[in-house]
Amino acid sequence: MRFRVLLKLAARSVGRNTRRSALTASAMVIGLALLIFSRSISEGAHEQWITSALRMGTGHVAIQAPGYLESGKLEDRIGAKAYQRALDAVEAVADDRVVAHAPRLTVTGLASSASSALPVRIEGVDPDGERLYSDLDEKVEDGRYLQHDDRLHAYIGVELARRLGLKVGTRFVLTAQSASGDVEGQLVRVAGIFKTTVPEMDEGLVHIPIETAREWLGTPGAVTTHAVLLASARGTDGVVDDLQDRLSGDPDVRVLGWREASPALRSALLVDDYGNYVFHAILFAIVALAIMNAVMMSVLGRRREFGVLQALGLTGAQTGWVVFGEGMFLTAVSGFVGMGLGFLFTWVFFREGLDFSSFVESEGAWASAGGVVDPVVVPIFHSSQVMLSLYFILVMGTLASIYPAMRASKLDIAEAMKFDR
Amino acid sequence: MSTSNGTLAVQTKDVWKIYPQEPNPVEAVRGVSLEIESGDFVAMAGPSGSGKTTVLNLLGGLTRPTEGSIEIGGHEITSMPDKALARLRLERIGFVFQAYNLLPVLTAMENAEFTLLLRGVPTDERHERVRVLFDQMGLEGLEDRFPGKLSGGQQQRVAVARAVVGEPALVLADEPTANLDSVASSALLDVMERLNREHGTTFVFSTHDPRVMERAHRLITLVDGEISTDVRQNHETAGA
Repeated sequence: MRFRVLLKLAARSVGRNTRRSALTASAMVIGLALLIFSRSISEGAHEQWITSALRMGTGHVAIQAPGYLESGKLEDRIGAKAYQRALDAVEAVADDRVVAHAPRLTVTGLASSASSALPVRIEGVDPDGERLYSDLDEKVEDGRYLQHDDRLHAYIGVELARRLGLKVGTRFVLTAQSASGDVEGQLVRVAGIFKTTVPEMDEGLVHIPIETAREWLGTPGAVTTHAVLLASARGTDGVVDDLQDRLSGDPDVRVLGWREASPALRSALLVDDYGNYVFHAILFAIVALAIMNAVMMSVLGRRREFGVLQALGLTGAQTGWVVFGEGMFLTAVSGFVGMGLGFLFTWVFFREGLDFSSFVESEGAWASAGGVVDPVVVPIFHSSQVMLSLYFILVMGTLASIYPAMRASKLDIAEAMKFDR
Repeated sequence: MSTSNGTLAVQTKDVWKIYPQEPNPVEAVRGVSLEIESGDFVAMAGPSGSGKTTVLNLLGGLTRPTEGSIEIGGHEITSMPDKALARLRLERIGFVFQAYNLLPVLTAMENAEFTLLLRGVPTDERHERVRVLFDQMGLEGLEDRFPGKLSGGQQQRVAVARAVVGEPALVLADEPTANLDSVASSALLDVMERLNREHGTTFVFSTHDPRVMERAHRLITLVDGEISTDVRQNHETAGA
């Protein structure tokens, strides 16, 4: 009975002081709404960032030979038979989680023309599979992307073309160490020139058909990486586990998640996350102070009322519970309203994405961690993140209500009765 | 006519209340010893700063004495733990304050029944007891009004109802008529006298008002924290 009375008092007090309650609630509502908006944009940006970088690189899941991640050398490749086993495993687990998968035979070498020679990363790709996997074919500046019947064709970056004086249709020589250890050359013709705005790609990436690369390097049926692209980075661990289950006894292949296969990307995301945590910590601190200030002001302004409550027979602890209840009541209501508002705000105004293109200098794209990121960031809601934000707000509200409640519980009744007399 | 019955509602022995203030501590109450019988109707008078409110606070356990002992209904309260003291206030003492001090978030009915709520009295019984009191005090029809919608006199009568609804042995009233006009003051005193007469409730109240002092059965005058005079007044017709 007493508890119900205390709750009633707390709820009525919140309702009675509408201006004060609204101010406190607005701090929490806006704080949580901002938090949810910020988290969803951050999640969306990360997802795009990851996907973009991984489309250009090793995918969400990379299947490589043991040692290739560390050496990056052709000798640590997956041979034809082992690759077939790996491909079978990928086909077996490919479901809604898997968007595309593609083979890569990658070496470092030199690209030479009549005018100059430059170091490049040469990727032997399956043109048809690559169209599904990456969006490099959409970055054509001149000419076209590779086709399935191409043999001695190459798709090169715009900066490489400029430096080597190459145009569509002109020929140049690729040189690299083959599987036998000899340095071998391969004459190819420029089929197309791409522009990504990622300097290391525009300056140093060459795509050639994978069959041409295999013949040239003496590695029939081999790959250095089979890259698997997923619908969401969140599905990575599940697909890695499934593939590892299927390939666990195979000594010639290793299954890697993107965090392991792309440590630079992982580090970049961690740094970005750290910045977000700092921002969120500041936001939480502001919200906590707003709650504590409002509840504290309420206590200081109602000392006489609390004195009366204790004169009538409430204990100090029970008076503290009334104040604590007010703080909790405000926090709970504001928390849920803030969550709803955050969803609504983000969904209504930004479901098509938040356009950052005005902040981008180079033709509508960001280059980051080896990928090209669309400046239009589409927010993503993860229920766990939202619940975590709500949980934090509730914890903040609880903590911020403790001190005012303690003040109210330790009131000198006779002094409080004199207050504002 | 006094309704006192010979048992002691209040007994204090050499009570001092000293506030440790720099440079000189303030002696608000200096060696007050008094006995108040159950059912008495006692006024404490004296100039501002004479210690009336402090004595009432001491009797109600709202503050503790620096020295001396206080018994309420036979319970020594000076060393009583806070929780037990709160329980004693809830069950045995009613308070009426100068500024009414109704809880603004509760209606007149909810204010009046508040101590019963805390004591876990069933709803029907609570409402019945409050309605009887409201009828006696001219508050019928005002049950659902919040304090802000009541006049000063009405608020003070609700405060008195709150103080007596739990049938406490002792009601302490700190200048209950100070904010009321003469008509409202007289009406409030009528109510208090009737409750004293009909229920045997002990009333101890402080006042500046000579008309209120006249109606007390016993008049204690405080000066500088000490009892200056203690006079029993003849009221053969007052309560008839």
